[in-house]
Amino acid sequence: MGLLRLLSRIWDAITSFTRPPNAATLFRRADLYRQEGRFEEAAELVAQGLRQAPNNGVGHLLSAYLHLAFRQIGPAKSEFQAVLGLDPYHPRALLGLAKIALEERDLAACRPFLDKALQYYPDFPEAKALQDMVSSWTVTPMAAGQRPVYAGPPIQVEKLKPPAGGREFVLTQADGTLVFSQQGDKDAEDLAGHVTQVYRIASATLQRAGLGALRRGIVQAATETTFFRTNDRLILALSFPQDVKVGFGLLETDKLWTNSLRELGVRA
Amino acid sequence: MSAEPATPRPASARAREFRRILAEMLKIDRVRGGLVVAADGLVITSSLPRTVAVEPLAALAATLGRELEVGADRLKRTPFHTALFSADDGTVFLGSSPVGFVVVLGDREVNVGLVQWALRKALATLEGAWGPQSQVPATPEDI
Repeated sequence: MGLLRLLSRIWDAITSFTRPPNAATLFRRADLYRQEGRFEEAAELVAQGLRQAPNNGVGHLLSAYLHLAFRQIGPAKSEFQAVLGLDPYHPRALLGLAKIALEERDLAACRPFLDKALQYYPDFPEAKALQDMVSSWTVTPMAAGQRPVYAGPPIQVEKLKPPAGGREFVLTQADGTLVFSQQGDKDAEDLAGHVTQVYRIASATLQRAGLGALRRGIVQAATETTFFRTNDRLILALSFPQDVKVGFGLLETDKLWTNSLRELGVRA
Repeated sequence: MSAEPATPRPASARAREFRRILAEMLKIDRVRGGLVVAADGLVITSSLPRTVAVEPLAALAATLGRELEVGADRLKRTPFHTALFSADDGTVFLGSSPVGFVVVLGDREVNVGLVQWALRKALATLEGAWGPQSQVPATPEDI
């Protein structure tokens, strides 16, 4: 009997080299690749694993992560939902859907996902960081015309003229209320929404890094460079063509910032 | 889940490349830490001061990077390459790459131009591991 068992184990060991790996092995290997940033190889293994085990939560979670890594948001959402179909309280799937809701600026959808994840797993640092960040945000209605309206002192537009080359100048309050924009209504609201969101997330990131409150920002893209200036209440954003010298952009943004504060009767 | 595999180098070199890039950034005077985080928030490599917890910072940095990407797309702008956000006590630098985001923390005396230049060089190296390299100015002064 002992000999038979030994022979059986030897046979298993030999055939394991030639047998195709099972789903668990594929997912384990895929996760290792993913952690090394080898997303294409990881995705291939996950796809193989899910063909073998279509209802495997680990497989769907990995698939969701990899879709996110490839910036494929719709498929990532479906995969996180597939995980929740198998385990409605899966904290990582809840966090994934919260992040997607945040990207879609759907704060009303984002909060319950975070609350649910933390209800069952209170020591979940990523979910806690996001919950801390969004807890102070007001839920801004998305429909045009329903946004909060600026109710401060009237602004003399001619005093807030952006410098030569400056474009997409926008001034918002920290709660997202549009104060002034160089552009038309629809574009201005989109721009104000983005600027506010960048301000909020960058502020939370700086606080988390122990560096204090956000004061300035520079975002460089292929065709433009955008300068941010802010205090705790107001956010100014101004873009220039990509080839602008950073020193010039900073100087002009500061001038416009000072003028804006003066116009609004706010101390620097 | 398809992605165009454009990998001129062996893929196993990537993990080493991330660590090397971060190590280079950490050599810059007044740089206090950094990390490489995927768009899903996965920390690929990190080196942070003991007082800064890695997971929460990575989650927020990835969220910030995604807002810059999604916002640019929504406003029909070109995607961002690098960003920096300064506070009273230091600066967070963020670079976008196919793998995710390179995050660097500098204190209030950090040479912003030098870090930006080094970050762009690092991003070009990362892009090289995925596809064609982008142009980087020869010196920090050219930015």
